[in-house]
Amino acid sequence: MKTKKVVALTMAAVLAGSLAAGCGGSGKGEAGGTAVELPTIDAIKLGEDYQDITASIKILTNRTDVVDTVYKGYAEEFMKLYPNITVEYEGLTDYEQSLNLRLPTGDWGDICYIPTSVSKSEMSEYFSPLGDYKTLDGIYNFLADKNYNGLQYGIPNGGTAGGVIYNKRIWKEAGITELPSTPDQFLDCLQQIKDNTDAVPLYTNFSAGWPMGAWDQYIGISATGDPDFMNNTIVHTKDPFARRDDMTGPYAVYYVLYEAVSRGLVEDDPASTDWESSKGLINKGEIASMVLGSWAVDQCKASGSTPEDIGYMPFPITVGGKRYASGDGNYAYAINNKATGDNQIAAMVYLKWLLEESPIFKDEGTIPALKSEPLPDSLSEFDGVEILSNNPSPEGEETLFDEVNNESEVGVNNNDYPDCEILEAALYKTKDLDTIMGEWNAKWSAAQENLGVSILEN
Amino acid sequence: MGKSAGTAVGQKTFAEKFKSRKVQQMLVIVTFLFAPLLLLIVFTYLPFMKMVQFSFYNMKYIGPKKFVGLANYVDVFNRPEIFRALLVSVYYMGGAVVQLGLALFFATMMVFKVKGESVFKAAMFFPYLICGIAVGFIFKFFYARGFVLDSLLQMFGMSLEDIPYWLQDQSINNFALAATSVWRYTGQNMIMFLGAMMSVDNDLYEAAALDGANNWHRFIYIILPSIKSIVVLNLILSISGSLSAFEPPYVITNGTMGTGTYFVIMNRLAHENQKVGLACAMAIVLLVIIIICTVAQKLFFAYVFDNGTDDESKAAVRKRKREERRKNAQKGAAV
Repeated sequence: MKTKKVVALTMAAVLAGSLAAGCGGSGKGEAGGTAVELPTIDAIKLGEDYQDITASIKILTNRTDVVDTVYKGYAEEFMKLYPNITVEYEGLTDYEQSLNLRLPTGDWGDICYIPTSVSKSEMSEYFSPLGDYKTLDGIYNFLADKNYNGLQYGIPNGGTAGGVIYNKRIWKEAGITELPSTPDQFLDCLQQIKDNTDAVPLYTNFSAGWPMGAWDQYIGISATGDPDFMNNTIVHTKDPFARRDDMTGPYAVYYVLYEAVSRGLVEDDPASTDWESSKGLINKGEIASMVLGSWAVDQCKASGSTPEDIGYMPFPITVGGKRYASGDGNYAYAINNKATGDNQIAAMVYLKWLLEESPIFKDEGTIPALKSEPLPDSLSEFDGVEILSNNPSPEGEETLFDEVNNESEVGVNNNDYPDCEILEAALYKTKDLDTIMGEWNAKWSAAQENLGVSILEN
Repeated sequence: MGKSAGTAVGQKTFAEKFKSRKVQQMLVIVTFLFAPLLLLIVFTYLPFMKMVQFSFYNMKYIGPKKFVGLANYVDVFNRPEIFRALLVSVYYMGGAVVQLGLALFFATMMVFKVKGESVFKAAMFFPYLICGIAVGFIFKFFYARGFVLDSLLQMFGMSLEDIPYWLQDQSINNFALAATSVWRYTGQNMIMFLGAMMSVDNDLYEAAALDGANNWHRFIYIILPSIKSIVVLNLILSISGSLSAFEPPYVITNGTMGTGTYFVIMNRLAHENQKVGLACAMAIVLLVIIIICTVAQKLFFAYVFDNGTDDESKAAVRKRKREERRKNAQKGAAV
């Protein structure tokens, strides 16, 4: 910590020197960052407060594809509202790496996305608090990750939800009027697509490996509606993969995969799939559905001439009459605490405008930062579906899930092969799903026992 | 310089010894060896020792490790999937034999005058220059349903229903994968054979031609005996290569559908399940298996093939001795 600070200060000093030589940029005034009285982001009234502030701020982003077009447009729009504040974007191709080097210098700009390498306890070293976690949590989505000691340091740039990508036209042509809400309904729909259209009902993208691992993402919130399931409950449950009578839980997710394959509702030859071309095929309607996160929706839309056909539906599991989907925050915006007071305030004003007034979430098709905003069009099927994020693990057990997961070799979310085995077993008809899930449960229990994990009675 | 030579009388002082040609020579050798030895030790032997050490621990890449004795080795032998993976290597060994046969055939063709020899040589050798991962991607598309291979076969009149699923059908997918390594290494083996064949004295061919030997005779009686050591070497390399086959299954099928070789399983355990200790134990077990295979092959070839003398093989020596004995016996009987 101490050396880090020393390095940071030295670097800052060196850079301040080079700044004086005429680089310009944002950090006018002392680079040391005096403690400034900052407002909280919820207290700012856009368009009214801080009209008198003059500052020029810089925002770092990884979106080099839109930095000079869309993002520049946002900046210009904002500058109409606040003519005294100049907003400038900088795109970084190697975002994480560059930020690791630039953050400690203190002179990198005013707003950035918090890189994954910065842990919770380190956030206060680089970023200014935006407000109180409890207050902000009532206003913005996905805050759970970026707060420390009750203060919120970052607000995610919207988020994505877990569901199923499908081609609306094909599903309609197959005669499906209502989207499925249980695994069996979903399989019936796939059968209907197979019978009535030429499209592949469900494309697994098996040979790429990771799209098989992607099925693991649904076993938590989508399948249980329990935000504690993935980081806590599953670790302490006996036989978490066992079949539940109401067709929820991990078993239900893998049931969809297994049955779809064994009933011949997937592509002809899973061994020779190709991810890049599958995006175009679903756009054209040669593929009817793919089980992938909502991040893939934009790519599928962009890969053909009929983006309006691409839809996104929640994973077909209903838990006690309610539907759930997991939502994950994107990169979180944070403000440089080494910038001058005026810059920090200007940055906060811009950030608030970006999160609340700009069309950024509509443009990117992501879940907006504001809780009060409706879901994007791409998630219109998620109306009435509760979007939750996984709760963090309880204190002292942060690594327990990973340990059990690795020890058991079930590899939820980190090893694609067990999911591949489900497909293989269904394809070659070597094992039924209950056998596979029984094996996973046995491995899981053995790992729990080896690691001395307490098993909760339920 | 001249001084040290001049005063070399009686007892030599240390300085004189130090300056002597022999010591100087040693010094030069040691200094020059220092860099390569250092590299060898730092990047080969030290990591190997570490691997041996890790194989006795239960450990991840990051975090504490726990000494578990031989538990990892016991685990290796208790896991059925690990030895099933070794059986997959049999396909690659079969491939290696085919590959050596093809390489020998092509090399022999090239030794006798062929038109466009260098073009052929370059074309055959080229696959070896492509990196294994790229080869994997080439064949991923080559074998994909309805892609290159299927289209070619359809051009020759086969219908798609009759063509097997090259990567999915478990009775054929390992053959398909082994074929990719045959494609890749045949050219390289051929060049090695060719190099050895080039060193055969031309006079031998001329003499053989005068004796009325045809090309087959030349191959069997001149070429093969002259390059037998390189054939054996290639065979040993191919077999140990087959046991550690990795790139084709890793890139093309990711070890799914029953194509996971020993290395693929090892990689999965080490990197996806973070069981570094177990993977190290697997590596050492494989090393032992490869050593056993190599020694067994050496012994086998030492008996079957040769190495009597440079002029005649052991088999020939045995045959000559037998005949001598028979002649002696006949002589004895005659006397």
